[in-house]
Amino acid sequence: LGAGQSIQKTYDLTRYLEHQLRTLAGTYLNYLGPPFNEPDFNPPRLARAEQVPSATVDLDLWRGLTDNARLAANYRAYSRLLCYLRGLDGQAGTAELRHRLGHFCSSLQGLVVSIAGVMSSLGYPLPAGPAGPPLPPGAPAAPNDFLKKMDDFWLLKELQTWLWRSAKDFNRLKKKVPPAVVTLRLEARGF
Amino acid sequence: GLVQSCGHIIPESPVLALGSNFTALCILNESCLDFGNIYANQIIWKIKNRVVPKEQYREINRTVSSVTFNDTSSLATPLTCNVLADGQIEQNIYGITVTLGLPPEKPKNLSCIVHQLSKLTYPMTCTWNPGRHTFLDTHFKLKYRWPRENFPDCIPKDANNSCTISDVQFFVNLEVWVEVANALGKNESDRLVFDPIEIVKPLSPHNLSVNSGILPTVLKLSWENRISTAVMKLKFNIRYRIINETNWMQVPSEDTASPRTSFSVQGLRPYTEYVFSIRCMKEDGVGYWSDWSEEKTGVTTED
Repeated sequence: LGAGQSIQKTYDLTRYLEHQLRTLAGTYLNYLGPPFNEPDFNPPRLARAEQVPSATVDLDLWRGLTDNARLAANYRAYSRLLCYLRGLDGQAGTAELRHRLGHFCSSLQGLVVSIAGVMSSLGYPLPAGPAGPPLPPGAPAAPNDFLKKMDDFWLLKELQTWLWRSAKDFNRLKKKVPPAVVTLRLEARGF
Repeated sequence: GLVQSCGHIIPESPVLALGSNFTALCILNESCLDFGNIYANQIIWKIKNRVVPKEQYREINRTVSSVTFNDTSSLATPLTCNVLADGQIEQNIYGITVTLGLPPEKPKNLSCIVHQLSKLTYPMTCTWNPGRHTFLDTHFKLKYRWPRENFPDCIPKDANNSCTISDVQFFVNLEVWVEVANALGKNESDRLVFDPIEIVKPLSPHNLSVNSGILPTVLKLSWENRISTAVMKLKFNIRYRIINETNWMQVPSEDTASPRTSFSVQGLRPYTEYVFSIRCMKEDGVGYWSDWSEEKTGVTTED
């Protein structure tokens, strides 16, 4: 795949993930029940939620990054978010919800693969080392059900923001890299 | 019996390629030599109950006789090693089963299609030509992976030429191929690399409704698409016919070549009942047309 095509596919996948998450988050929060599914529920970020890669960044700082650094940040974030996502309640609600969670997980896994594909097509090295364990070693699992649900709530919230910004990142990158990088081979004719 | 276990055959229970050559050895136990006064040159090879011609035998030594078949097609089960013991009573020493077959050919014409089942369920079915019958237990596996990610193999259930992956992902190129193996060898198909979004057969539009408009030559169709625009944008074909007639007419494709959920069909006969049906596919024409939707009728107004 050329870089342009690879970026286009990654952009399409990001939009597809946004679409899936839009309905999936609502259904999952309903599964968590009140207060998590109430529209104006806006809890503080507890220390535990710090481990979920926060999507809140300084936009100027973010824009100031090189394409390589920004892609690497996206790659690391989704690798970690994927680990958390796999930690969501595996027995969640209905079979339909479990199927959709599984489908979304695979799609997100595809996004990590896709971003890696974009980076290699642009000649960038992949971020070294694993994306990091789901929880820092030693960090206890949520001590109670409410805090576990709080973790899930923040995960879905951060994912939505990450995907929203990543779609913009790939859209901007798409415009920078022409669809088909044409290698112009100059035929030396009489020069 | 008169003769206990007095020997054995090597190889034990071979699987052999049809048309190849094969040699078996019958090895007598030393103990039998003394007790039963039996030697390799008294061995008689048999296929089922038919004696193998002696020209195919060779006495390797006192205790070992070999038999050779230039073409295994004449072989059958069992192949037995027998001996004429004292008093000319033919006694069976040992027997083996022989399985004949063919190594698997390279699977060909691998192709895949994603049939949309519901808003979020997209199983992908791949089919291939499994090649000639091998007469052996032959196992096929559909393998698929992303550049840095392997998936569990898809094991065909009741056919050897297709497998269905229950839920496939879009927008990431997938590498797909078939592996096949039996006792006589292995083989693998050519590899396909594609984005599953390019081989989707979407569900047909549904909840089609037909409404007459102000003009007596126009009917307005509306419907619901069953695939999200986040997955793909659609284009359509609309066909219609006068009720009780058989030939269909079709709205020019270029008029319905963009995403929509309604269309006004013009140039119809006033005060006439028409039957309509619609189908859809990916807007850029990559993939498969859906089936035609359920038919719905509508009547144009009087002139």
